[in-house]
Amino acid sequence: MELSKRSLIIFGLGWLTSLALLGCIAGYYHMECQNLLAKIKEYEGCVMRVNICINNGTAVWYNGTLVLAGCDLLSATKRIAIVNYTYWPSYKASFVDAINNVWKNGTHFWMWYRWTSNGWEYGPVGADTYILSPNETVMWRYEKPNYSP
Amino acid sequence: MNCRRAALLAIMTALCVGIQLAPRPPNVETTSLICFLTGFLFGAGFGAILGAMTMFLNGFFSPWGFAGIIMPFQMAGMALIGFVGGVYRKLLGGNPSKMTGTKILNLEVSLLAAFLTLIYDVLTNIGWALPSNTPIIAALISGAWFTVVHVISNTLFFGGAFFILVRVIGNFIGENTWSSRKEVS
Repeated sequence: MELSKRSLIIFGLGWLTSLALLGCIAGYYHMECQNLLAKIKEYEGCVMRVNICINNGTAVWYNGTLVLAGCDLLSATKRIAIVNYTYWPSYKASFVDAINNVWKNGTHFWMWYRWTSNGWEYGPVGADTYILSPNETVMWRYEKPNYSP
Repeated sequence: MNCRRAALLAIMTALCVGIQLAPRPPNVETTSLICFLTGFLFGAGFGAILGAMTMFLNGFFSPWGFAGIIMPFQMAGMALIGFVGGVYRKLLGGNPSKMTGTKILNLEVSLLAAFLTLIYDVLTNIGWALPSNTPIIAALISGAWFTVVHVISNTLFFGGAFFILVRVIGNFIGENTWSSRKEVS
């Protein structure tokens, strides 16, 4: 089928339109990206990144999770997973009962570790009282603890 | 202009303004289609006047508020759509169904609609950018998704309905739509 000159010109205009639209969309996302980067820079002192691992037999890493500066581990974990926990007034701390619907039972519990120069160390306090540092690496592990709970 | 044609034009004008003022998704409109169609059927000048008048009235009664400085740009954009409708008719010449397949014509009119809608959006964005001292490119980019919705909806409306409406209205006004001269006398 032979196309007329008119058809070819109109198809050319259609092609130009699609190019212009693609350019606008690309520009839109570029502008959004620049705005978000500027926002992150603006809040640089107010936010930090931490690396969190959730290990229920299979380790899943959430590296570079963005949290508010001075954020506790429990709040940071809630950003990346569904967390059920109970506050114990006698300990003045919360203990995690379940992460992502994997519940503690008579033998297995959710324990947390932090990465130090000596390797993984047990978390010294309840997750809601432990304040994270920038770029800190922590891990939740579903396990049978070494001590009797 | 005979009475039937005058009545039809009045209906189209009312339809355009009514559709513009009716609740609808943002940037989805059939005013462009009606203006282009009017230009096609009744001549470029008439299509242009209908487009300009519709946007003039819309500027005062729009639920989004008074159009203000954007109004002349909207009028120019819609007038252009109506005008090009008439020019397209002249370019088609005689009965186009004898020259090319209907699919090609539908595609042509769809792509023309996409291009004209883009021009309309560029014009209205310029109308918004100039008084607010916003760079025109930034104005175009920030409204990119609105433009995409506008262009896609108009492409579909034109491709799906334009030639059907041409035939229906051609039958209604009782003349050979393809061969008679359509400038309003």
